Amino acid sequence: MGETKKLNEKIEELDKKVEWFYSDDFKLGEATEKYKTAVELAHEIEGDLKNLKNEIEVLAEDFSK
Amino acid sequence: MKMSPTELIAVINQTMEYAYPVVLIEGEVASFKVNQGKWVFFDLKDEESSVGCFMTLWQLRLPIEDGMKVVVQAVPKLTKWGKFSLTVQAVKPVGEGNLKKSFELLKKKLADEGLFDTSRKRALPEDLTEIGVISSTQAAGYADFVKILNARWGGIKVKVAHTQVQGMDAPDQIIKALRYFNEKNDVQVIAILRGGGSADDLSCFNDEQLAREIARSKIPVITGIGHEVDESLADLVADVRASTPSNVAEMLTRDRVAEGLKVRNTMGRVAQVVLNKIDMQVRGNNDMMTRASRDLRIKIENYLGGVVQKIKILEALNPEKILLQGYAIITGAMKVGSVVKITTFTDEIDAEIKTMKRRE
Repeated sequence: MGETKKLNEKIEELDKKVEWFYSDDFKLGEATEKYKTAVELAHEIEGDLKNLKNEIEVLAEDFSK
Repeated sequence: MKMSPTELIAVINQTMEYAYPVVLIEGEVASFKVNQGKWVFFDLKDEESSVGCFMTLWQLRLPIEDGMKVVVQAVPKLTKWGKFSLTVQAVKPVGEGNLKKSFELLKKKLADEGLFDTSRKRALPEDLTEIGVISSTQAAGYADFVKILNARWGGIKVKVAHTQVQGMDAPDQIIKALRYFNEKNDVQVIAILRGGGSADDLSCFNDEQLAREIARSKIPVITGIGHEVDESLADLVADVRASTPSNVAEMLTRDRVAEGLKVRNTMGRVAQVVLNKIDMQVRGNNDMMTRASRDLRIKIENYLGGVVQKIKILEALNPEKILLQGYAIITGAMKVGSVVKITTFTDEIDAEIKTMKRRE
């Protein structure tokens, strides 16, 4: 299902964004903007997590025969 | 009405088939034997009577032995030799003791074949998107599974094979569902679910053929049958055993609440990291300023030290200081007869030079 895949991709993307803050590439001048985009992505992920729905299908096959 | 023995037997069989197409009979097993590795014979008896039973070994889904109380599902039949017999379709031990005995016998047999070996167990795939479920959609255990699954995670396509999960027909239905999922091969894991029940209710999960079908499954199988304390052969042969249907849902999914919390905590930690780095930078700037001011102070002090020294020298050379010490300054032509000016600290004196001579 695409939903879970997309969500996992977003979580991976967030992880990468977060890594930057711990890396040697960190620059205080860029931190505000990078933090802002990371927070936006985090909110998006939280929204996706709430909205994920399962699809349940009861098969038509009769297993008693 | 005149009939041949064959006709009589045929009529009696037709009558019995009409009156008693299938009977369920409970009794004690006696004279149990297996012929040619294919045919099973035993008597089913109570205190007063006994009836012969026949079945194929393939139909014997749980081991039985003499003295064991069982219930058989059978078709009554008169053989061509005029002997009454039950053609058994299914047999199941009755009572907790007999069920346990049968379970232990089969468990040992399957264990000896290596069906429970941990080396056979496969790990469940992560991030499942397709799950096959075998359960009764009417069962409380199934409802628990769906509730927990929906609460924990989403985006999963769940295909449910509705089967009986207790009774004599249950094992065959579950086997068919297992085969269906394996043929379709469009789910990543198969979950066999059944809520709690008595030992008799759960005995269908101790079926030998069901156990073998689970072992044969190309798709990993997880079971959630009964409660933690209930152990079935299906559990033992499955790749993963969960304690309950709810536990199956927990084992198959991540928890969206926990994931959300993780994301929030991560962002909280990042904010702290940024604050710490800002703090460090400010502290670094302060240190730089402190170092610069210290250097500057030293330079100023050095400079001031030099000036004081020079002032001291200059002061030492000040003529007034010399006069103060009692010395005098003589100005004018230094020759006999001339008038010179003598300056002391307090006075100025004009004096005539009377005599002059060089110092020794």
